[in-house]
Amino acid sequence: MAQGKIVKVAGSLIVAEGMSSARMFDVVRVSRHRLIGEILELRGDRASIQVYEETSGLGPGEPVESTGAPLSLELGPGLIESIFDGIQRPLVDIRKKAGDRITRGIELPSLNREKEWDFVPVVKPGDKVASGDVIGSVQETPVVLHKIMVPYGIEGVVESIEQGSFKIEDTIAVVKGEDGQVHHLSMLQRWPVRRGRPYKEKLSPQMPMVTGQRVIDTLFPIASGGVAAIPGPFGSGKTVVQHQLAKWADADIIVYVGCGERGNEMTDVLMEFPQLHDPKTGETLMKRTVLIANTSDMPVAAREASIYTGITIAEYFRDMGYRVAIMADSTSRWAEALREMSGRLEEMPGEEGYPAYLSSRIAEFYERAGQVVCLGSDGRQGAISAIGAVSPPGGDISEPVSQATLRIVKVFWGLSAQLAYRRHFPAIDWLLSYSLYTDNLSEWFTDHVSPEWEQLRQRTMQILQEESELEEIVRLVGMDALSWKDRLTMEVARSIREDYLHQNAFDEVDTYTSLTKQYRMLRLILDYADKGQTALDAGVNLSDVISMKVRERIGRAKYIPEDSLKYFDEIEDELAFETNELINRGGL
Amino acid sequence: MADKLLKMGAVGESDAIQAFRAIGAVAVPATTPDEVTQALHRLAREGTPVIFITESAARMAPEAISRYEQTMETAVIPIPGIKGSDGYGEQKVRESVIKAIGADILNQNN
Repeated sequence: MAQGKIVKVAGSLIVAEGMSSARMFDVVRVSRHRLIGEILELRGDRASIQVYEETSGLGPGEPVESTGAPLSLELGPGLIESIFDGIQRPLVDIRKKAGDRITRGIELPSLNREKEWDFVPVVKPGDKVASGDVIGSVQETPVVLHKIMVPYGIEGVVESIEQGSFKIEDTIAVVKGEDGQVHHLSMLQRWPVRRGRPYKEKLSPQMPMVTGQRVIDTLFPIASGGVAAIPGPFGSGKTVVQHQLAKWADADIIVYVGCGERGNEMTDVLMEFPQLHDPKTGETLMKRTVLIANTSDMPVAAREASIYTGITIAEYFRDMGYRVAIMADSTSRWAEALREMSGRLEEMPGEEGYPAYLSSRIAEFYERAGQVVCLGSDGRQGAISAIGAVSPPGGDISEPVSQATLRIVKVFWGLSAQLAYRRHFPAIDWLLSYSLYTDNLSEWFTDHVSPEWEQLRQRTMQILQEESELEEIVRLVGMDALSWKDRLTMEVARSIREDYLHQNAFDEVDTYTSLTKQYRMLRLILDYADKGQTALDAGVNLSDVISMKVRERIGRAKYIPEDSLKYFDEIEDELAFETNELINRGGL
Repeated sequence: MADKLLKMGAVGESDAIQAFRAIGAVAVPATTPDEVTQALHRLAREGTPVIFITESAARMAPEAISRYEQTMETAVIPIPGIKGSDGYGEQKVRESVIKAIGADILNQNN
């Protein structure tokens, strides 16, 4: 192994000489504290190394030792319910060993080596297996069946495989390759974080990831295997939206990367998730969640790695055939970490000081999402949906990180400070946001929700757009200048905003809305629009149409529990009855 | 064409609108808010381009009036009733002037 010595220290960047045999992205151990670092640049025998830990007290002359391997993750049973730092160190174990603060150079295995898992094989000796084939499984949590796969690059005939309790490093199977080489497989795999895990084929996403958030599912749906960005100014609710998605998104596994944000946000996740129950499985949400935390006070270099750590874990579960959702909060902090390292490396800065390779790095991350056919002979499919929060300074999305992100993602949920100020949450601005998946997904919605879905969706969008045009007129000449038809449109738009799009994340019922309920709610509001118009045409006064009693029930429809959707029939009947009564009384 | 031009309506207390019958207008007597509203809607639906309404009747159905303020097909014109003008028509004109030019130039107290 290459052994060099430090010649320069600049914050988290150190330069070491005597590193001629090291390679790019090798992990090194720096100084007698054995701090973890990674090689970012090689010039002759000089290596620039980003150190993932605090470098104070380091000086020239101290030893640097290369491990000869790139930064890799440990993948195997024990990932779920864990909380790791940016370079996959187990924070819970570190706390047990070193207390509340991570001591420098602490070395602990990422996954518990002592715990025994019940391994159940699905292949038998004599079977031929290829890379990615599932050879057995471990019930990791009540909801996650952890499939043990043949690591990439190994292929051959199973010589032996055993059932029973094993630690993750124990040999569970022996595979003899065609070249005669014998591989001892354990449940533990390693994978370099900066390389995407291979798959057979990437597919175009055809199915939505249902989130239970009305504004998202109805107006701006994300596909399972899709990529979305949530840019928004400070205080507009990016984190709450991310948490809502982590809680309710229709995914098998959630990887939540807290990247450079406040510590209490991770605490919220840690406190809340074990209390919340997944409506589908009845188990707590923590049983399907992996957390990566690099909060704002943790070393900045590890922030850069945290995103890759997250997506690599997501890919590992995707390869098992699961639908994984990864939330990164926030990619701006990650880009700032890139900028800091780039500055220390004395690279030529690009826009706003960000490195010139900013957009390619962001693309690298998002491109690892997608719906794929996994390696292995059973043709199983897995998907990663990636959702990144972006925190543009001052909420101005013309800055480089937002722009680079928007070039790649297909769903844009733009949060607006104005809506947040008006206490409209989620503050996703319907005029600004878009989803490029709607065309792909409309067929799915037609088949699985209702043939009317697409039409309702388009009409809703149209009413909201009309409202913004009418608002301009109202601002100029006042409400009186509008015809009754337009005033009814304004009223319906208000109903869509307040009774439909507004959703209370902290209300037990309102926090999640199934697609069927979304359809019923939307149909109810648009039904009111139609019936209101009929009444106006029949000569009923606008004020009577606006102050219909049933509207209060329409407004409260969001609080109807999922198992009592029959109340919607009642409200629809009441609406029809009241309209008829109005027409009979006030019409001609 | 001639028929169309002649078509006029009048709504209000029957004493006040009888005279309109003489010039061929459709006069609909109305003295309660519901009657006034229904009369206006009926005339508008029949395609009456100009409807005269007495000020006292107009005050009873402000909402129905506001509906026709924004439509091109029907003009509702307030006229003084049998007891003379109570200022309703003038007030409407003043409101329109304020909206159009942004100042209350008709206010005589200024």
